[in-house]
Amino acid sequence: MLSEMLSATVLGVDGVPVRVEADVAFGLPSLTIVGLAGSAVQEARERVRSAIRNCGFEVPARRITVNLAPADLPKEGTSYDLAIAAAILGASGQLGLAPTRRCALIGELALDGSLRPVPGTLALAAAARTAEVGEVIVPQANVREAASVREISVRGAASLGETVAHLVGLRELPAAVPTPIPSWSAPSGVPDLGDVIGQPLARRALEIAIAGRHSLALSGPPGIGKTLLLRCGEGLLPPLEEDEAVEVSRIHSVAGLIDRREPVIRRRPFRAPHHTVSTQALVGGGSRVRPGEASLAHRGVLMLDEMLQFRADALDALRQPLESGIVTIARVGGALTLPARFALLSAFNPCPCGWRGSRRHACRCEDGAARRYVARLSGPLRDRLDLWVAMDEPELREEPDGAEPSSVVAQRVHAAWRRQVERQGVGNAELQGALGADAGLPVRLGGLLQQRGRRFGLSPRRLHRVARMARTIADLSGSDEIRQADVDEALAYRPERAA
Amino acid sequence: MIGVGAAGPLGVSHHDADRPRGLAVVTADASRSAPVERAAWISLASIPGIGPVGFAAVVRRFGSAVAALQAPPAEIIRQLPRSDAETDDALRRLQGVGWPTVAADLEEAARRVGGAVVTALDPAYPASLARLDGRPPVLYVVGHLDVLALPAVAVVGTRRPSGYGLSAAADIADEIARAGVTVVSGLALGIDGHAHLAALDAGGRTVAVLPSPIDRVYPPRHRDLAARIVAEGGALVSESPPGRQSGKPDFARRNRIISGLSEATVVIEAPDRSGALLTASAALAQGRDLYAVPGPIDSMASRGCNRLIADHQAELVTSSASLLHRLGLSVRRPQQAHVVASLSDTEGLVLGALIKRSGSIEELGARSHLATSELASALTLLEARGLVASYGGVTFHATLAARRIVYKTTELL
Repeated sequence: MLSEMLSATVLGVDGVPVRVEADVAFGLPSLTIVGLAGSAVQEARERVRSAIRNCGFEVPARRITVNLAPADLPKEGTSYDLAIAAAILGASGQLGLAPTRRCALIGELALDGSLRPVPGTLALAAAARTAEVGEVIVPQANVREAASVREISVRGAASLGETVAHLVGLRELPAAVPTPIPSWSAPSGVPDLGDVIGQPLARRALEIAIAGRHSLALSGPPGIGKTLLLRCGEGLLPPLEEDEAVEVSRIHSVAGLIDRREPVIRRRPFRAPHHTVSTQALVGGGSRVRPGEASLAHRGVLMLDEMLQFRADALDALRQPLESGIVTIARVGGALTLPARFALLSAFNPCPCGWRGSRRHACRCEDGAARRYVARLSGPLRDRLDLWVAMDEPELREEPDGAEPSSVVAQRVHAAWRRQVERQGVGNAELQGALGADAGLPVRLGGLLQQRGRRFGLSPRRLHRVARMARTIADLSGSDEIRQADVDEALAYRPERAA
Repeated sequence: MIGVGAAGPLGVSHHDADRPRGLAVVTADASRSAPVERAAWISLASIPGIGPVGFAAVVRRFGSAVAALQAPPAEIIRQLPRSDAETDDALRRLQGVGWPTVAADLEEAARRVGGAVVTALDPAYPASLARLDGRPPVLYVVGHLDVLALPAVAVVGTRRPSGYGLSAAADIADEIARAGVTVVSGLALGIDGHAHLAALDAGGRTVAVLPSPIDRVYPPRHRDLAARIVAEGGALVSESPPGRQSGKPDFARRNRIISGLSEATVVIEAPDRSGALLTASAALAQGRDLYAVPGPIDSMASRGCNRLIADHQAELVTSSASLLHRLGLSVRRPQQAHVVASLSDTEGLVLGALIKRSGSIEELGARSHLATSELASALTLLEARGLVASYGGVTFHATLAARRIVYKTTELL
């Protein structure tokens, strides 16, 4: 006898529907799972057997074959347990002869038949929606997460028994209340720009970077506040838009980084991986593809402190997301695309000892060593970093200089971001091609930009980037049109000044 | 020779009259046998381990280089202050191949890179070097030989300068070059390279004394600069024969040629134990004038300079104009005033502040009470017009051009 249930798997950061078919036939008692099932799925046999028995059902002493379709898609994880168990029960006639309710089943089984939470429920529930079933049953602990997906009825079950009762129409599980998208609140525990001493140019560059999602590179000796300044960036980020919030939450759900009680993220992510991070952990990958830090920073910030200490191949892997906002991972069965559109905030020392170019300390590095150190930043990557600022020790002063606190700067940044979203739907850094009059760049300034480019020896790619930064600078001052001063200010952050 | 003060300390016009051209120490032997002896000099000086002192000792002992090369290697080696197996090997090889062939090969190697060999026997040998102890017996020169006979001032400094040092090097080299005097330096990264560049940009001449042979210009990053120096009327000078691997001692030894070719040496910026301080002591040992640019007392890069001044070894340079005055030079001001493109109030304010004192954006902000964004855009515009320069992106300086314009305008007012 044949039975089919619906479940889902995560591919990259997207959920994909998976059909679970079970067939019970005459033959020696066995339970075989086919369909590129990984080791966690193979072990489902033992969990499913015990769970079925402990819920008062029985595992038929027959030849049982379970197929996970599409059969060419590699399957990992424990989220199919519930569907496998239900399909076996269906195929062995234990769900009765009447057709069961059409719903997707997601959850890991404990040996006693109770349901355990699984990661990525948000993406899995969204997959169930694309498969056009009206309902999805998830473990109780995952209900709020799954219920943030709209247009599907989410029901939480505590055990296999409850699920079966619902499927056969014996006792209906209550539909969960859709999880509301929470309102935004400013992050706490983030350093404030008001506490940063001096460094006016670097502060301003940070403001521009966050406002238009441009990338920032700070260079300078150790201990002058590069890290502190970058960390202040978190306090300037505008709230996620509602559709962005669901998208970002899904990525974090897949990575298992979500708060199950408050699953929808409203604050833009701010990821600061340590410099020993592997390439795979930075951009994603692995035999079971997981989103890397670049994707976890999607629509937020990726902060790389001590950028030159990162592995060269890891840094080079950032070229693609910096250019196009995605990461492509080549797999045996084709390529996977993960979203990764972030503002890169980075800082580095100008040489191994850190003191090159400083006034008060002597640099102890050989010339060659210092050059090789900075050369770790490959040309193509260097070309993709927008704002460059060389920092030195601040002037000594008796008391703080009353610098603007983060709250004031954040207001400007949020307003500038709104202007971009309303005008073009994306951040200025993501604008394609050359800016024209429609983007508020007067023809006269296009000429000036070319002229400045020749004077300072800038590549056409760099000039495009300068124009986009000028657009952000104009947005920060609330201007529809880009002015000459905006272009000139954008040119103040060119890499030749800093490294 | 316009622009050189007639009675100034440089006293260039007296060179040719006062000094016999070329040979000074070994006149008797050298005058006897011009071309053959010259070839012997070239080949003997190419032996590793025979430096200027050893060379002079050998020639003194045997009467001539020709005679020396006929003696057994052990005899020659006995005259050297120190030697190793390499010297012995090289001498045996030289005697095996025959020194006229070796000399011809070296001359050919120099010609291949567009250079020439100048020995202290030749009339073209720079008069300024001729009378020095430890003068190089043989020089390899690419470019214009006669440049070496013209008045020159050395501008030297650290390979790791601050923005202040780079700006000072550019200003001083610019002024010296405009006064019609050659700027001599060592082609090193940092101050040296900047001094060469500023002299060329001012339309002047400059001479680079290399630590390496002329066929492998060091540092490689300055190969384009070296080519430009030759193309624009200057010269590259080295005492190493073509093909020689240069080592650490070569870097120290060339310093005496830098100061020797120059009437005066200006140390722009030098930390403790800088190579530029070796040039400074060479200048003092040669009885040449020494000047040093003072720096902030908290700046590592200026400690050597400040010490030279404190110890009364170098004279303090208060401005590039005062330096020229001390050297007895006068700058040929451009006849036409620069056209001052209109500057906005903000830009004028920023430029004015920078002319008073160079500084970072932070300092400028405190002094001018302008917003950072205004400062940033004004500085870019001034930079595009060549009125402001920044080295390393932190400190900004008004360029000489900017100061000349303001000088002109105040004059007009």
